[in-house]
Amino acid sequence: MTPRVAVTGVGAVGAFGTGSDALAAALAGHAPAPAAVDRSAGYHRPGGARRARLAVGVDLSALVPPAQARRMSPPARFAMAATRLALAEAGLAGLPAGGHARTAIVAGTAFGPAQVTEQLLRQIFGQGPEAASPALFTESVASASSSHIALALGARGPNLAITQREASDLLALAEGVRLVATGAAERAVIVVVEEMIPLLHAVLDRFRALALPGADGEEVARPFDRRRSGVVGAEGAAALVLEPEAAAEERGARALATVAATVRGFDPSAPAWDWGEGDAGLARRLARGLARAGVAAGSLDLVVSGASGARRGDRLEAAVLGRLFGGAPPAVTAPKGALGEYGGGLLAAAVLVAAGRALAPTLGFAEADPALGLSPVVAGPLARPRRLLVSALASGGAAAWAVLDAVEPRPARAV
Amino acid sequence: MSGARAAITGLGAVSGYGWGVEALWRGVLSGQTAIRGFSRFDHAGYRTLVAAQVPDAPAHAAAGHGLRLSLADRFALEAVAEALAAARLPGRLDDLEAGLFFGSSTGGMWESEEYFAGLTGPRRRARIALLDSQQPSGPGDAVARACGVGGPVETIASACASATLALGAALAALRAGEVELALVGGSDSLCRLTYAGFNSLRAVDEVPCRPFRAERAGMSIGEGAALLVVESESSAARRGARVLAWLEGVGASCDAHHMTSPDPEGDGIARAVAAALADAGTRAEAIDFVNVHGTGTPHNDAAEARMLRRVFGARAAAVPATSTKASIGHYLGAAGAIEALVTVLALARGLVPPTPGAGTVDGALGIDLVVGAPRAVPGARRALSTNLAFGGANAACVLARGETA
Repeated sequence: MTPRVAVTGVGAVGAFGTGSDALAAALAGHAPAPAAVDRSAGYHRPGGARRARLAVGVDLSALVPPAQARRMSPPARFAMAATRLALAEAGLAGLPAGGHARTAIVAGTAFGPAQVTEQLLRQIFGQGPEAASPALFTESVASASSSHIALALGARGPNLAITQREASDLLALAEGVRLVATGAAERAVIVVVEEMIPLLHAVLDRFRALALPGADGEEVARPFDRRRSGVVGAEGAAALVLEPEAAAEERGARALATVAATVRGFDPSAPAWDWGEGDAGLARRLARGLARAGVAAGSLDLVVSGASGARRGDRLEAAVLGRLFGGAPPAVTAPKGALGEYGGGLLAAAVLVAAGRALAPTLGFAEADPALGLSPVVAGPLARPRRLLVSALASGGAAAWAVLDAVEPRPARAV
Repeated sequence: MSGARAAITGLGAVSGYGWGVEALWRGVLSGQTAIRGFSRFDHAGYRTLVAAQVPDAPAHAAAGHGLRLSLADRFALEAVAEALAAARLPGRLDDLEAGLFFGSSTGGMWESEEYFAGLTGPRRRARIALLDSQQPSGPGDAVARACGVGGPVETIASACASATLALGAALAALRAGEVELALVGGSDSLCRLTYAGFNSLRAVDEVPCRPFRAERAGMSIGEGAALLVVESESSAARRGARVLAWLEGVGASCDAHHMTSPDPEGDGIARAVAAALADAGTRAEAIDFVNVHGTGTPHNDAAEARMLRRVFGARAAAVPATSTKASIGHYLGAAGAIEALVTVLALARGLVPPTPGAGTVDGALGIDLVVGAPRAVPGARRALSTNLAFGGANAACVLARGETA
């Protein structure tokens, strides 16, 4: 029988600061406003988006010592910091040598290390190929974060990085669950990471992916709102520690949630940089996946949606949920209204909600879109769910979902 | 703990030898490398001047695809068309429980470089469409879109181990019943970033790479795609599909040793091999030959030779080993796919391709490198394919002979 997998630690880094409490505060609406993106390089188009949820000024030095940080790209630092927070919560910080011999690291990233890639290209085109820095090249691979974490921890289990745009987070979770459930790893660290550099921000804006400035100059992510115009870019990292529920119990660790199902799919109607209209196929895939895991749609009492304010993305999300639940949908909340898009906030938020440590109304939503037939929860407090569905539909077609079960709290033992 | 095997029923390839599996097979058997001077981009200012570039596309390969595709997309689309035809499957898989698992390092980086050059050049203008397939997920997504894949679609970008890790993810999805058929592969194109980057590490040989030779001095980069149709045994049986080979097991590990250098003792890759053998429910004694990662860098080849000794013990010097990279260069994220594909052909056709390269085989490594001409292995039933990556990720797969092709 496949063992049930538990989440025993969560760590988060972002514009909101570091740690679960800072993330919970951001979900409740206490996040700093999006910051101005440096437009001095001239990459941005006139009239386009100017802001993003940047982790500028967030001090990571207590989590990633400077001597270690100087060898890392910004996303690797975010990822390392989030991982250390998650391991600390799981009671797995500072294990003796060999303690992570069978720990897997699974990273998810939409765009990979953007800054070092840009720097490398500047060297190659500006100064010639022989000017390319080997240190930057090493950091430019999408798996640099997972490699740094493995190196720092001595994690010698499977190590992989998944790049599948906005679904990278839940796809990484699915692979982590698989590795733990099949015994290929004793535990897995899932780490989702992104950085939002000016070039990437400008490119997203040129693809018309970002929320446009309103009359007041503000750029707001409005999940499911009639006036939504795009996402607000974000950077940061989220990390989860996964292990068999029985193993967690054995060592006295407290489970924050258990993973009841992971489901994956794809919408072939999606263009490369947008969402498609394949709600029927995605809903069928989701329903079949839930059935295979023995999860009845009626047992879900909350959806933590990846809706982000994207015009076509939110429409697809609403249509899939509408097909899955018919006329009786559970409450829906969309944390990306508070956190922005990218950087793993969705996954960390879902775990905190399942653990009863955050109540996440949908910030940015005010006016229902009649075309969607769905209005998210906008005011707290939400009742703590017993079972929730996390949903991530990516531009380009990928899709992934997870079902998290709440775990009744019990006193933690020393580990 | 082992699990069910999966059937490999179709292959497609694009390589420096040309477009198609047979061009690749003829090339690797010839012992003549496809690594030579190339024209993908102006490389006059680079320290090294060779790579394995895919020849211009035949007219049929460009037909029917939109203009907003990257080179890596085009390679992948051509490979999948060939693989599906070989597997006697339709071009669209909408009615099947199908998934896609891909490996890629750079996706549409070659096109992204064009965009960046324009954006930062004197006119400060560039066509945004060049970035349509910018990310590593681009080629896999293009294939999934073209083939109507509705199940899991996942691109793994763990550098040179990516596509073998994708084989592992696919095998797990098949065993779990999540899919009945998986398109597994990889695609990467030559680009300035990787060419300059590996040069900056002084990891590229000035002549075509010479794996396991005493004179070896680095790798050579290649480009292309490989696609394997992998399906559950019941799906293959139901369709009456010809089984070219069985994917019996995949294992993975991490060195946790260094960001660029492999564990010199080969311990990490040996653990991945051990995991693959266990996953396949078999033992090292059952392996008849190995398609090694074999980049031609001094460190990699020494570490892999030690791995072979760890895995095979005294038999290490008698197990034929070959490196596909000496023929077609290093496909980076797609390496595991093209090397698994060559291993499938070797099993099916009873021939281990030679490893081209100047110089003499390094006797200190103590391995049986196939050189000069193909080695006939008519009785070979099982083989290993291994990959090591930046950051210490390792992956290995066990393949077994199916029906005679």
